[in-house]
Amino acid sequence: MSDQKIEGTANPAVPGPRTATATAKHRVDPLAIIVRFQSLIGLVLVAIGGVIFSPRRHGEILFLDPDNIANIVRAVSETGIIAIGMTFVIITAGIDLSVGAVLGLSAVVTATMMISGGFGLIATILAVLVMGTVFGVIQGTISTRFRLEPFIVTLAGLQAARGLALVVSGNQYINISYGDGPGLAPPVFAVLGERLFDNTVPVATIVFIIFAAIATLVLNTTRFGRYVYAVGGNERAARISGVPVSMVKISVYAITGFASALAGIVHAGQFNFGSANDGMGYELTAIAAVVIGGTSLFGGAGSMVGTVAGTIMLGALANILQLNNITPAMQLLATAAIIVLAAVLQSLVRRREGLGR
Amino acid sequence: MSAPLLSVTGAVKRFGGVQALRGVDFDLKAGEIHALLGENGAGKSTLMNLLSGVYAPDEGEIRIDGKPVTFSNPREAQAAGIATIFQELDLVPSLDVAANLFLGRELMRPGGMLDVPAMRREAKRRLEAIELAIDPARLVADLSIGQRQVVAIVKALSYASRVLIMDEPTAALTVGEVERLFDIMRKLAATGVGTVYISHRLEEVPEIADRVTVMRDGRVAGITEPHAPQAELVRLLVGRPLDELYPARARSAGKTLLSLKDASFRLARESAGWQAPSGISLEVREGEIVGLAGIMGAGRTELLSALYGTGLAGRWHGEVAVGGRPVKLESINAARKAGIAFVTDDRRGSGLMLRMAVGLNLVMSVIRRISPAGLMSPRRQAEAVKQSFGQFDIRPKNPDIAVGALSGGNQQKVVLAKEILGNPRLLLLDEPTRGVDVGAKGEIYARLRALAAQGLGILVASSEMPELIGLCDRIVVLRQGRNVAEFNGGVDEHTVLAAANGREA
Repeated sequence: MSDQKIEGTANPAVPGPRTATATAKHRVDPLAIIVRFQSLIGLVLVAIGGVIFSPRRHGEILFLDPDNIANIVRAVSETGIIAIGMTFVIITAGIDLSVGAVLGLSAVVTATMMISGGFGLIATILAVLVMGTVFGVIQGTISTRFRLEPFIVTLAGLQAARGLALVVSGNQYINISYGDGPGLAPPVFAVLGERLFDNTVPVATIVFIIFAAIATLVLNTTRFGRYVYAVGGNERAARISGVPVSMVKISVYAITGFASALAGIVHAGQFNFGSANDGMGYELTAIAAVVIGGTSLFGGAGSMVGTVAGTIMLGALANILQLNNITPAMQLLATAAIIVLAAVLQSLVRRREGLGR
Repeated sequence: MSAPLLSVTGAVKRFGGVQALRGVDFDLKAGEIHALLGENGAGKSTLMNLLSGVYAPDEGEIRIDGKPVTFSNPREAQAAGIATIFQELDLVPSLDVAANLFLGRELMRPGGMLDVPAMRREAKRRLEAIELAIDPARLVADLSIGQRQVVAIVKALSYASRVLIMDEPTAALTVGEVERLFDIMRKLAATGVGTVYISHRLEEVPEIADRVTVMRDGRVAGITEPHAPQAELVRLLVGRPLDELYPARARSAGKTLLSLKDASFRLARESAGWQAPSGISLEVREGEIVGLAGIMGAGRTELLSALYGTGLAGRWHGEVAVGGRPVKLESINAARKAGIAFVTDDRRGSGLMLRMAVGLNLVMSVIRRISPAGLMSPRRQAEAVKQSFGQFDIRPKNPDIAVGALSGGNQQKVVLAKEILGNPRLLLLDEPTRGVDVGAKGEIYARLRALAAQGLGILVASSEMPELIGLCDRIVVLRQGRNVAEFNGGVDEHTVLAAANGREA
């Protein structure tokens, strides 16, 4: 899996953009630029396609209808929050399969604490966020302490979280009713399903955007963010340079755990119930959004903006297909094609840079 | 006179605006070992790639036995009898030797089953033909680098048997392994195989080559006798006399930085093939460059990694002191706190983040310093990068390109510069110039000496004896994990070798 034949690249013998930099400065490979902004470009293309192919009513383009746009960004906010956490993990060359299940567990616990437990809003939210974070810390610790593949550890985590959610919920939908008094949730919690600013911007989307902004800052401007890239870029080199590799790895799983819990709370608030089956398959959507966003599964490279754009792009694509009454089967195939396209583009750039596969 | 086995005339190869080969003539006789020397970028890799069918020449001609040939892919070159062994051996570590030798050409039983016994028998026969006793059922992962090299040669020769092209085959080998490889090369030459031998190690040339071609700037700079003086070869290589590859030694050394007295590293768990330091006594003083010599398995790398805490888990016994104070060097953190920095012998595997920019790599060991309150400071980062570029002549002078795209020499400068940024008191270097061309070597030696002059203590392990002798103030010889002899720099190579092998000089 290692990047091979790198030594030769500075040799003028090997063609590539890096060689070009050595001789003619500032010549940049257009393909590299496309890949760097692939998800943004994709998002723009999907938006243009949306306008073209959108059904119209009374001459109005339905795709651009404020309600429709609000729907798109609302629908992607849960997987978007998860994808943001996932970006950290994937940049370290890890993976977290437990996110969807932790979302389900969090939704169930949120509902149960408020309805049967009689806990207040703040206590519930804090407890669920701590729970998700601890869940991630446990997974990260097991993975680093016993040197296990995160794929396996988080696969087990997925099963564990679903199991716990079934136990807590008794395999029932926990409905959330609002009001004052025992067995009722504080009405303010329902705001998660509403829209602000003149009934335009969904609250779930606001949560998503705030989380994305914080994550972008953490990844790009903090020491921790740099460590994340370093661990994914070359774990051994990072260790030798004094980077606390285990701490960084445990932290990124704590972040996905936190993000999943946050998404679970948003889920419960939007749909007014918690169920052990919530968030089924979200891990794959999140991974797809991250990869489309240009983050490398090999680790060491990736961006938060890309992930956000990738998330919205997937949502917008699904929306156009829905507006045109195209079957869910076709939606899956379209997503598949985009994932492959994104991966192929990245692979082409790596090869052009002479950096192996 | 009959035509040479292989000849190239007027070869020109361009890549975009870069002219990699500017009209190269080269020939190889049957049974000849022809050394091809050149710094990175001189064009020897391109020439090798033309011969092995990776690229086609833009102009010029390749002939075999006087007949023009064209290769559109490596398979055609193989079919014409040209076998190439690249630095990255194309072996599958998780398969056994026989399976590797027959990869893609498996022997089958009727019915589509692999005929494993037949392949093992045949593999054994081929290995024995060059007097190498490797069990064909062993996994390649369990072989030493030297043994893998031989397996790769046997594999290559099994499908192309007239011309053997070897790209720096000795780069990762120990002295003993090099000797064995040379024996095998001589045997093959005696059977009529022509060998193109590409190397950075000038000192190997007289020992193995029949003829030497030196390339520079895409041209042949000269063809010479293997016994030409090294200064002559260096002049051809770099285009100017390099009167001083090694800088002048220090006049005086300062206070003792590292002191080991009867120090042993006991492993938490025994590990075969890991020669733990056992009963080592040595000192490194400020401003001093101390070399670690020894045959492969003598424990050079193990000593350095045990000092830095990157080796296997274990505990130091005996006296280990840094700056006069006893320290427990059992983790990377402890070593770094004591002011120790370490540059591994494997810059690609554990030294660099290859796909990340040069600048990001440079600041990796000082992230703390450039991120006050946990926030990265772009200004401090730029300053650190500027400092490194000022100290080491890293080329191209662009901190934004991926470090993996740099030449070996420049990558090594990045690794060194990165550790120097952390202001260590003691620098541990393992094979500091492996795979580095002569020009860059000279620069690295000069930098190390300049750093030592500022008070840095350097402990350097190397399997290149001339490097230790030329660079170091003192050389400590290790055998079986302990120091058995000590010499001043400039000592005769045979004396050191004799001590390393446990013989009288």
